[in-house]
Amino acid sequence: MNWIDKQRNIVDFALSSLLRRWRKNLALLCVYTFVVFIVASVVFFAEALKRDACLVLEGAPDVVVQRLIAGRHDLISSGHMEKLARITGVSDVKGRLWAYYFEPSVGANYTMVVTEEAAGRPGTVAIGAGVSRTLLAGQGDLIAFRGHDGAYVSLEVARVFPSSSELVSADLVEISEEDFRALFGLPEGIYTDLTLRVRNPKETVVVADKIRRLLPDTRPILREEILRTYEALFDWRGGIVLAIFAGAALAFIIFAWDKATSLTLEERREIGILKAVGWETSEVIVMKSWEGIVISLTAFLLGLVLAYVHVFFTSGTLFEPVLKGWAVLYPRFQPVPFIDPYQVATLFFLTVVPYTVATVIPSWGAATIDPDTIMRQ
Amino acid sequence: MSLIVLNGITKIFNRGRPDEFTALSDVSLEIEPRGLAVFRGPSGSGKTTLLSIVGCMAKPSAGRVLVKGREVTSLPDRFLTDIRRHTFGFIFQQLHLVRGISALENVILPAYPSGEGLASLRERGVRLLDLLGLAHRADTNVEWLSGGEAQRVAIARALINEPAIVIADEPTAHLDTKLSLDFMAAMERLKAEGKTILFASHDPLVYESTMVDRVLEMRDGRIVAERRAS
Repeated sequence: MNWIDKQRNIVDFALSSLLRRWRKNLALLCVYTFVVFIVASVVFFAEALKRDACLVLEGAPDVVVQRLIAGRHDLISSGHMEKLARITGVSDVKGRLWAYYFEPSVGANYTMVVTEEAAGRPGTVAIGAGVSRTLLAGQGDLIAFRGHDGAYVSLEVARVFPSSSELVSADLVEISEEDFRALFGLPEGIYTDLTLRVRNPKETVVVADKIRRLLPDTRPILREEILRTYEALFDWRGGIVLAIFAGAALAFIIFAWDKATSLTLEERREIGILKAVGWETSEVIVMKSWEGIVISLTAFLLGLVLAYVHVFFTSGTLFEPVLKGWAVLYPRFQPVPFIDPYQVATLFFLTVVPYTVATVIPSWGAATIDPDTIMRQ
Repeated sequence: MSLIVLNGITKIFNRGRPDEFTALSDVSLEIEPRGLAVFRGPSGSGKTTLLSIVGCMAKPSAGRVLVKGREVTSLPDRFLTDIRRHTFGFIFQQLHLVRGISALENVILPAYPSGEGLASLRERGVRLLDLLGLAHRADTNVEWLSGGEAQRVAIARALINEPAIVIADEPTAHLDTKLSLDFMAAMERLKAEGKTILFASHDPLVYESTMVDRVLEMRDGRIVAERRAS
């Protein structure tokens, strides 16, 4: 109990000491909070994007097979489907129709996709929220698409995708097979690429190898590869944001470091008094450590909470254009609140610990003075 | 038994450097409990250095110091701090109060690391301020106190750990006659309570006071004369 009371007394004095220099400490707290806020926001946002993308890709096929001619993607025929279906372990081989469509009036690329949902409703399309915004088109409106022969085809908007899937559906136009083939002039039996399922997930790589050997003009793309690409992409974007803020953050860190590591004359005098009235060097250091811990922990928690609100309640307004860039169609999406304890712990050890140590070192220097120095002042 | 024994104390600053300076030279002395002794002498005579060594604030370059019969010269700093905290109360010439906190907080400052509960500490602090007629200023920040009030806060701070010995270095150097007399009256009360009091002073108002039991004349780092009250 005595030890706890002693720590409580020292904390009490540390807090009173912080309050006495509230201007300096408030400035430090603001700067520190800002740095934690920026770093935590980027980390939370990149993680949320990755998670969102991964959730959407969960339903994606195990393997996508594209045809390549001299390295260029080309259309694939249904003849390949039969060969693929004969590979052991492969099931559910399907042809997929999709294409990029450039709309000159708004300068945007749409991704046109044929889905099973759209099969039953020729003459209509379902569009992503990004497309809806740029064309100012809602349910029931007609959208004109320019076909392969230059003639315009008008299709009715059957529905607009909900914003929860906007990260990957912003530029999407879901269309029926008949309309797709008519628009792009594609004959029957020709597909953009093929998809297939592999019964045993562990055999996916083996199946991909078999496909490469059986159909040397094709390129199998595994779902895991797409997931890895997403992760790399969002990590890279997070890095870009950090790089943009690095200059500002560095200036702030230097400022904070300077304020934390230098003692004012008043602080040195105070340490001298404490030593002279009977405080041990270790007690002075503990007191200064508490000061550092209070500042850095408060800044850390404040920065973390602000970053959480920024990312999960305001959709990361500050970084949106960089982190979610999608040509002219910026998706609006609300990330699902999620915190990775490992990332929080990493942030903690990168912010709180160095700052506390930085505060203690100069105090240790000042606290090792002979107590009789104060007698001579 | 003597409360403090100094045996052949020498203190050399900056030893081995061109600016080497001998502040004390072979000083031997015994201090009895419950008395008031004044070290008197000009600037640079070694009064403050001697008080620092007696109060375990500094270690001598040579010689031995015994406090309550215990040899303290060879003790590590941590133990010296402990002895200093529990045996001595210091009143500095410049007072050295911590600005920005109240009189009461200044008074209890030396006792923070003791582990005593804050409530009990505050209670004792207020009682001390009350004894010195300053209870009504307990919550006032020290920078708002007059010179005399600030000195009484410094006295109360010196007493918070209930020390057996109170050490004051030139306590009246910055006080006018009335405040100096008030200070001596406060010391007289402490002496009556059984405290041992050691002053360094060259103020006649202090060393000619009737309450002083012993005046030790210092010069060039040595005790050159001694007068005891009859």
